[in-house]
Amino acid sequence: MKSMLVTGTAGVLALAVSGVALAQPSSPTRAGVADPLDSPGIGTYDVLGGTREQLGALRAFNPAISVIFDGVYENTVSGELDEPAGFEGGHDHGHGGGGDDGLRLRETEVAFSGSVDSYFDAMAIFVVDGDHVEIEEAYIATSSLPAGLQVKAGKFLSDIGYINRQHPHQWDFVDRPLMSEFLFGDHGLQETGVQLSWVAPTPWYTRLGVEVLQGGGSAISGYEGSQTFEVNFLREDGAGGFERVRARGDSGLEDASGPRLFTAFAKVAPDLGFDHAAQFGVSGGYARSWQNAVEHSSARFETWDGDAWFAGVDMVYKYDAARSYGHGNWTVQGEYFYRVIDVDYRSRVFQDGALVATQQGDAADEFSGKAKQDGAYLQALYGIAPRWNVGARAEALGITNDSLEADRGENRFTSFGTSYRYALQTSFMPTEFSRIRLQANYADFADDNGGHGHGDAWTVMLQYNLSLGAHGAHAF
Amino acid sequence: MIRWLIATLMLVAAGAAHGQLNVVATTSNMGMLAETVGGEHVSVTVLAPPDRDVHYLEARPAMMAALRRADLLLAVGAELEVGWLPAAISGAGNARVNPGRRGYFEAAAQVDRIEEGRPADRALGDVHPAGNPHVYLDPERMARIARTLAERLAEMDAANAQRFRANAQAFAEGVEARIDGWRERVDGAPGVVLFHADANYLMRLLEVPVHGYLEPVPGVPPTGAHLRELVRGLEGKRGVIIRYPYQMERATDFLGARLDMEVHELMPGVEVGGSAEDYFALIERWVDAISSAK
Repeated sequence: MKSMLVTGTAGVLALAVSGVALAQPSSPTRAGVADPLDSPGIGTYDVLGGTREQLGALRAFNPAISVIFDGVYENTVSGELDEPAGFEGGHDHGHGGGGDDGLRLRETEVAFSGSVDSYFDAMAIFVVDGDHVEIEEAYIATSSLPAGLQVKAGKFLSDIGYINRQHPHQWDFVDRPLMSEFLFGDHGLQETGVQLSWVAPTPWYTRLGVEVLQGGGSAISGYEGSQTFEVNFLREDGAGGFERVRARGDSGLEDASGPRLFTAFAKVAPDLGFDHAAQFGVSGGYARSWQNAVEHSSARFETWDGDAWFAGVDMVYKYDAARSYGHGNWTVQGEYFYRVIDVDYRSRVFQDGALVATQQGDAADEFSGKAKQDGAYLQALYGIAPRWNVGARAEALGITNDSLEADRGENRFTSFGTSYRYALQTSFMPTEFSRIRLQANYADFADDNGGHGHGDAWTVMLQYNLSLGAHGAHAF
Repeated sequence: MIRWLIATLMLVAAGAAHGQLNVVATTSNMGMLAETVGGEHVSVTVLAPPDRDVHYLEARPAMMAALRRADLLLAVGAELEVGWLPAAISGAGNARVNPGRRGYFEAAAQVDRIEEGRPADRALGDVHPAGNPHVYLDPERMARIARTLAERLAEMDAANAQRFRANAQAFAEGVEARIDGWRERVDGAPGVVLFHADANYLMRLLEVPVHGYLEPVPGVPPTGAHLRELVRGLEGKRGVIIRYPYQMERATDFLGARLDMEVHELMPGVEVGGSAEDYFALIERWVDAISSAK
């Protein structure tokens, strides 16, 4: 269109006229331009310029429906797998990470996608995890904005970093990198919000974007809001019996209206020809409210209240060997992220019905501090034979590991050592719709006493990963 | 960054000043067709060279950068590029080339397709219910696609409409002039063994029987059992085995040795930037290979 505008108004007018003419099959203009040499059998298209439709199942069914099956057998063959030290605060336990040994049905993903109309695409992905159903993603995205702009709204995986927007079945390894799991959460940075992105009209692929997110759904944007702490205890009633007493106190955390999390990302990819491809990204974000509250069984309450930011870089390189079924292909991928959580910390107990600060000697357990933590991984994948690949991954979590765990009495947050994990995997892909993978992890996690060895473990995993139905193509 | 943006904008402006339409073709054969029909009025970018399997490409950023600036996307279609092209289109953020828009053109959708309406059962392999997408190795269908493409280009650049039609006509006449010669040369050729069903259109056009395929089902590489079955079934038959450089040489060599058939290494497409003459030369090489078994 751009070139048409430059060629002059006449061209545009002619175009408009021809467009009108073509839209009316019975008009004499159409008959006039028809090629007399065209045999009648050729006219399988709607208008002279041919059909604009896309053939195939992705369009034939609206929405396109697919189901991803993902099962893992996991066994920690030696050692004991603990959580890496320093990442207790802000990490929701329960599923994802190191689960039980044995057979597990991981996320069963049901995806619906398609065009709503000529302006919007929509995607909904439900995840059946154990016995509950979650919305993994549910968003609409514009498909017709001009100038390379796109708006996405709903719940979606953020475009920060590289692996964050990928679903588990797209990973080159069974498990999520530690960096992603512990800095951002079990599902990565997955929030409700709006994204605006722009693809620049440059020879180098350039995509810039910002996201305004509600926050509260991931480790980088912990949110509690105002709440009341409450304990019930029994007290001697003076008559030889006990009375039930309920104590209540304000948590001190304030409501912070959303959106609370803001991110930005940039991705640049040079054109390296048909054999090579590389993409480099930088991204970061700011959570204007970061809160966490923990109630201990001893009726002690801890709160963290402040804000947080993160920044990171990512890169991926792929080599296409032009052989069959991925033979000889390479993928090298790595990311580094750093996060700072700047909070006021308070540790309190109920005393005579009121919340008061716990004491260490004369000092109250209240202070301000910054948790500075980071993580990185580097992985490589090689197509060792048709339909077979092997991969290796090295990870470090908490290279800087000033955690959110209070060093009570010292009035500061505790620093821990770095946790490491190494993985080897091999995959066999009978077709592009199925994969069987064997992976071995060696984890060398820092423990809470500042040393290594306690969290030292070998884990073996066997995974199947199948895709049923019409599943959309994956982004780079 | 700023300097680079300015340089880019100038480049874009320069392209526009020439009044060229930016055409992105998924394969080199489609690129040939765009060059042939559009001539100097189009600027063509090809996403995939002929030496790799278009079924299994990845949506690469360079493809998205090309599609971002495209006026017209020329795909083979019928699901051939389904594994990567939709992702490349959505990553490009260019509504002009979205399916359903004037800038979206699937070659296979413009003509009738063989093997259409097969069950969408993946137990039968990576099948395409929309029909066999590999229309690019059928010069006759390519001629018809060229004519439709000329009309599409005419919709977009009315000033050069007659030029596009004349170019398409010349290509169609080029095909017409050669078909009888090709048919004559392969007349009596015993047949071919293909790796994948991607030359079926050409074999129908040339009336050459396809003895079988090395893939047990589409998209699955040859298995030992299937190769043995082929050997049993084709014992005593004559013909040639055709493979592309990216296809598994061990399997074709094994079959060739067992059946005493010659293995010919051919290409499914012209080189990137190839002309109509190169396309005819490509078909000539197929004809040579097929007729060598007579």
